[in-house]
Amino acid sequence: MRKTPDNTPVIVARRRYAPLLVALAAVCGCDPPALTPNGVVHSFGSQGLGPGQFGYPRGIARSPDGKVFIADKTARIQRFDQHGSFEIGWSMPQREAGKPVGLGVHADGRVFVADTHYHRVIVFTPDGEELSRFGELGTGDGQFQLPTDVAFDDRGFVYVSEYNGNDRVTRWSEVPGSTGVEYAFESVFVAGPVAGRVLRRPSALAVDGEQTLWIADACNHRLLRFDLDGKLLAEFGEMGKAAGQLRYPYDIDVDDDGNLLVCEFGNCRLQWFDPAGRSLRVWGKPGRELGELSSPWGAVVGKDGLVFVLDSLNARVQVIRL
Amino acid sequence: MAILARLDGGFALAQSGFIPLSFERAEWLWLALLVPVIVIFSFRSLAGLGPARRVLAIVVRSIVVLIVAVVLAEVQRVRRNEDVTVMFLMDRSLSVREHGDAQEAYMADACANMPPKDRVGVIDFARLAYLEQLPMTGGYFLDQGRLPKMPNPERTDVAAAIRLAMAMFPHDTAKRIVLMSDGNDNMGDALTEARRAKADGVVIDVVPLWYRVRNEVYFEKMIAPASAEVGEVVSLRMNIQANAATSATMVVYHNDRQVELPPEVSRQRFHTGNNALVLRLPVTSDGLQRFEARFVTDDPNKDLIVDNNRASAFTFVSGKGKVAVMTMNPEHDALFVEALRSENIKTTVIDVSINIPDLAGLLDYSSIVLSNVPAHMFTEEQMKGLASYVEDIGGGLVMTGGEDSFGAGGWIGTPVAEILPVELELKHKKIIPRGALVTIMHSCELPRGNMWGKMIAKKAVDTISSKDYIGMLAYAAGGESWEVPLQIASNKGAIKKSIDRMQIGDMPDFDATMRMAVTALRQTDAAQKHVIIISDGDANPPLQSLLDEYKEAKITCSTIAVGFGQHAKGAVLQDVAKQTGGRYYPVRNPRTLPQIFVKESKVVRRPLLIDTPFLPQVAYAQSELLAGMEYGVEIPPLGGLVLTTPRPGLAFTPLVRAVDEGERDPVLAHWQRGLGRVVAFTSGYWPVWGSEWTQWSRFAKFWAQTIRWTMRQEAPANFDTYTTVEGNRGRIVVEALDKDADYLNFLNVRSKVIHPTKGALPVEFIQTGPGHYEGTFDIDHTGQYIANLAIYDEGDQYQGSIHTGVSVPFSPELRELATNEALLRQVADTTGGRWLQMDADDDKVFDHNLPPTVSDQQVWSWTIAWLLLPLFLLDVAARRLASWLALSIVVELLIIVVLLFGADVIHTTWWGVLGVVLLGEMIGWSIRFRYIGPLFDWLTHSVIALGTTGQRSTAVLEQLKTARDRAKSEPQAQSRSHAGEHDETAPVDAKAKFDAGEPTKQAPPINIEQTLGGAESASPGAVRSKPKPTSGADETAEDMTARLLKAKRRAKRKLDDEGAGGND
Repeated sequence: MRKTPDNTPVIVARRRYAPLLVALAAVCGCDPPALTPNGVVHSFGSQGLGPGQFGYPRGIARSPDGKVFIADKTARIQRFDQHGSFEIGWSMPQREAGKPVGLGVHADGRVFVADTHYHRVIVFTPDGEELSRFGELGTGDGQFQLPTDVAFDDRGFVYVSEYNGNDRVTRWSEVPGSTGVEYAFESVFVAGPVAGRVLRRPSALAVDGEQTLWIADACNHRLLRFDLDGKLLAEFGEMGKAAGQLRYPYDIDVDDDGNLLVCEFGNCRLQWFDPAGRSLRVWGKPGRELGELSSPWGAVVGKDGLVFVLDSLNARVQVIRL
Repeated sequence: MAILARLDGGFALAQSGFIPLSFERAEWLWLALLVPVIVIFSFRSLAGLGPARRVLAIVVRSIVVLIVAVVLAEVQRVRRNEDVTVMFLMDRSLSVREHGDAQEAYMADACANMPPKDRVGVIDFARLAYLEQLPMTGGYFLDQGRLPKMPNPERTDVAAAIRLAMAMFPHDTAKRIVLMSDGNDNMGDALTEARRAKADGVVIDVVPLWYRVRNEVYFEKMIAPASAEVGEVVSLRMNIQANAATSATMVVYHNDRQVELPPEVSRQRFHTGNNALVLRLPVTSDGLQRFEARFVTDDPNKDLIVDNNRASAFTFVSGKGKVAVMTMNPEHDALFVEALRSENIKTTVIDVSINIPDLAGLLDYSSIVLSNVPAHMFTEEQMKGLASYVEDIGGGLVMTGGEDSFGAGGWIGTPVAEILPVELELKHKKIIPRGALVTIMHSCELPRGNMWGKMIAKKAVDTISSKDYIGMLAYAAGGESWEVPLQIASNKGAIKKSIDRMQIGDMPDFDATMRMAVTALRQTDAAQKHVIIISDGDANPPLQSLLDEYKEAKITCSTIAVGFGQHAKGAVLQDVAKQTGGRYYPVRNPRTLPQIFVKESKVVRRPLLIDTPFLPQVAYAQSELLAGMEYGVEIPPLGGLVLTTPRPGLAFTPLVRAVDEGERDPVLAHWQRGLGRVVAFTSGYWPVWGSEWTQWSRFAKFWAQTIRWTMRQEAPANFDTYTTVEGNRGRIVVEALDKDADYLNFLNVRSKVIHPTKGALPVEFIQTGPGHYEGTFDIDHTGQYIANLAIYDEGDQYQGSIHTGVSVPFSPELRELATNEALLRQVADTTGGRWLQMDADDDKVFDHNLPPTVSDQQVWSWTIAWLLLPLFLLDVAARRLASWLALSIVVELLIIVVLLFGADVIHTTWWGVLGVVLLGEMIGWSIRFRYIGPLFDWLTHSVIALGTTGQRSTAVLEQLKTARDRAKSEPQAQSRSHAGEHDETAPVDAKAKFDAGEPTKQAPPINIEQTLGGAESASPGAVRSKPKPTSGADETAEDMTARLLKAKRRAKRKLDDEGAGGND
């Protein structure tokens, strides 16, 4: 004991208190942050019909005040606070034909749900009260065929993506004087071939701080960037498992630095890109443990740099900080 | 049985009302009496320790003994839980179909303010019970009006619902069932189940669903004789119950034709109560005679439920027997039918594309001919019916060939294939062109879509030949993959198992899987290549270039769109099918999926057809079917056949097609199957394959002979038979008398009842009196229950058959005119439940007035880990750890661990845990202060001492030197006197030398030794004396050192003694 090195007492002290700390932490019910793998801060949700539970969650969006809205395959929309605590939930008006896969939250807090299998968009208040709906089945102007996501720019336009043979992004605008209740078709924003390949399942939209629109062209395994006049600014991504490659990018979001967060359904991972298309990092692999994903459908950048990822087949949301 | 510890009586815990521990074997607690013994014993044996340590060690040992006693007594933690779990049972049978919304609203209201820790679950039931919400905290989560459709609302089984609820209750809460029902239980035994619930401590509160139909007329029953002869007049006896007098018009159907009734019968005046009516009708044809009667009341207000205004019955009339020729194409079979009629066989042609008779309809016929009919025209039930018609009723079946029959018609793996005298699988063929089928499965958005997907995938495996290729593609979590790699389907069981394991994920895109399919199919040698896509259509369409590749490779692709409503999602699938030459099926009802699949997989079965003419050869001339053709009759050639395999065993194969390698393909085969007979003729297809046969002079004779061989042998046993329906049981009574009116005893009645949905079910008959036999069967469905009784005598000789049965025209739910309050009250009373009212606006459902649940949990293993081990360590530490600092830490941690365990056992609150930690810290620090105080003193003294060093150092040094010399000489003398016992003296010697070498360090070691504990001083008194040497400046250093060394030696000896004494 006397021969121990100088720094030993510190270690001894730590060892001495470690069981106490763990015991205290366990008693208090909190996970010591250092014990979770791969930057997972925590996860919430489980399989079920109750509040805060999910059946195959597929759509996720964040409001400006940090609330997270999640749509799942029980046709419910649930709102969580920025820590993942359940706040409120509601059901879609119809669900027999199918359930919504995507949603977007407007800067004023309204929730636009792409009611995919009913070929329309339904607008709710943050508390789930229906305000309006627009769109109907079809391939023409003002019609949808399986809409997947909704995004907004600061000019007041609403962008909706759709697929299944009608793969395109349309732009809608609020009918003047309707105070956010009526929306009218404005134009087809993107359709047909882009950089030599036709759009195939544009499954997510995101508008970044520079007011450019990003599109996840899922079945072409690429990301597209447009300015709001519809001009293609960038195109990158190819099918594959390596970093920089993509497999069914189902969701995208832009963080405060303008970098892209991409949720890859096919590769069961998240990937970050800078706006020039350089892969910055990759997170996650297929599996059931924390830090692993099973068929993830969506991810958003939350408040304070947290990332919420929908671990769809595992019926939970993992919250990570990297 | 858990006994609460009697020994705990004096504890404060006991006074507080509840001890959370129980003991399985309390007698072991007597071990606690050892504690005083140990105290006395230890007090002596530990005399060497200081008083504080001695007490600590004794206390620790006593506790260890107590804990050993507790563990041996199998201590259990008793959990007392006052939370309640409420299971709502929601009656959704026909009789209360109006009450659904009210029940849902009641549950939602009742749960609106439920206590947070209580749980609520929901079960809805009619014939079967279904769990809609697992017992969970937080509330009622079902949306109003969105419960799934109840499958069989024609019956009510309260018992089944109670049973399911009991299975769902969590074990650690009080249990309450809230039964919402009208009490019209017509299936199970609700009271027995209620008694069982009572025994399990489950309380059933009842919320009655009230209704009373005051004006109602309904058909009680209609009875027709079980059998009759042609020309006989049968009596139909009808009973009609009326709640109020009313007049009505009566209509009667005989074999679906309306009977002209005389006015006194057709116009009826029903009086209140039971109205009996008898109608006499002549029977002019043979076979099954079906009667149906209905009435319409003049005043609809006097008859609120119209579904119960009908009744049906049937009578079997024996006769010569008829034959039904089932076909898709009556013109093709015209010559065949004409031939049969020319031989005096009554023949009816049934176009299966228009109508397929049910089993009762089949009973009209003595034999059925399936002439080139594909399997997909029949549902699974109809196929089972056909098989049952042969095996259980004794009817005949003839299947004739064509491109839609046998294996080529999708009959492989069906119930009908089982009864055919040939095997549809090709077992011995060495070279046949193969088919290849790839199925692409996409997860379906509709409920249970994936289950249907898997079911039909297995169906596909069944229907293809084991020589064909099969493969399944799906999108699993890792991406598109071959869930069943493309392979020859020789091991169908293994393939079906991998289908069961299949993960059907959400496929983003058809392109990837369709590309995998085309790549794999191109590598096979299959002659027919086909792809089937099952999807709800929301994946992305394939690229046009891929579809072109399909066209170029001649791979057809059929698509099955599974989903609801008018979705354009189907457009993608439709386009794929159209472009590749496949077919597109929009499916609304998943039940049609298997038939579609059978039809589709037909594409790959084309290789089973042989289109080259051949001359049939006689392989078994003794066959009854070839009677009269034995010698020299020339059999004309046939144009083709469907390949099959001869069935080994009891089947005969009189005609074959000889192939080069000695293989023979069956052309004509026959056997007896169950009670019936079956013939397979793999050729036929008259205008195409059999034109020479239809010209053949013996064509009519051959077929008449063949069909007659199959026809049901009518040997009616001439016994009286009665059938009745009592509740949910049907009863058949047979009175067996011989010609001389003597009772026939010890008969053997073998019987099957054909259930409206489940097929043939055996019924056991027992003799209950002289010549009196009875059998009963379950009635749980609306429809016809047809029974076939084959009667054998004592010597097992066949005596004849009886056809009989009962008809259940409408659900018993429609007969219940009022709430069955008596039953509901009994259920509540049996279990001590309450009688609640739906409209009473009170929150009784979650009342905490049930006895709390007490559950025991084994904790002895915990006890060892949490208590025994730390205490043992503490015992050792108390005696061994010389350092008070180290001891204090050990004591502190152990106290915290032990008390945390206790806190966990009694489920203390957070402040309890905090208190435990604070207490531990307090004790730890109070021990540490014993050491901190002196340390502080020494430090302060050192500072003072340093200040005076200059004056005293010389004098002190001198004194120390003297002391060293003395110390040196003293131990040396000792060591000499203890020669040989060097182990005892050597350390002291060494220490002395060491001390002497560093005289300046003599003052500090007093404290260092005490602090870090190489050898402990004898008593706390010694510790207290520590300050003395420094404060008592007048004392000589010599005296002090000598005393110290003495004390040290004493301590050393004591330690060594203890060490020699062993570890205790």
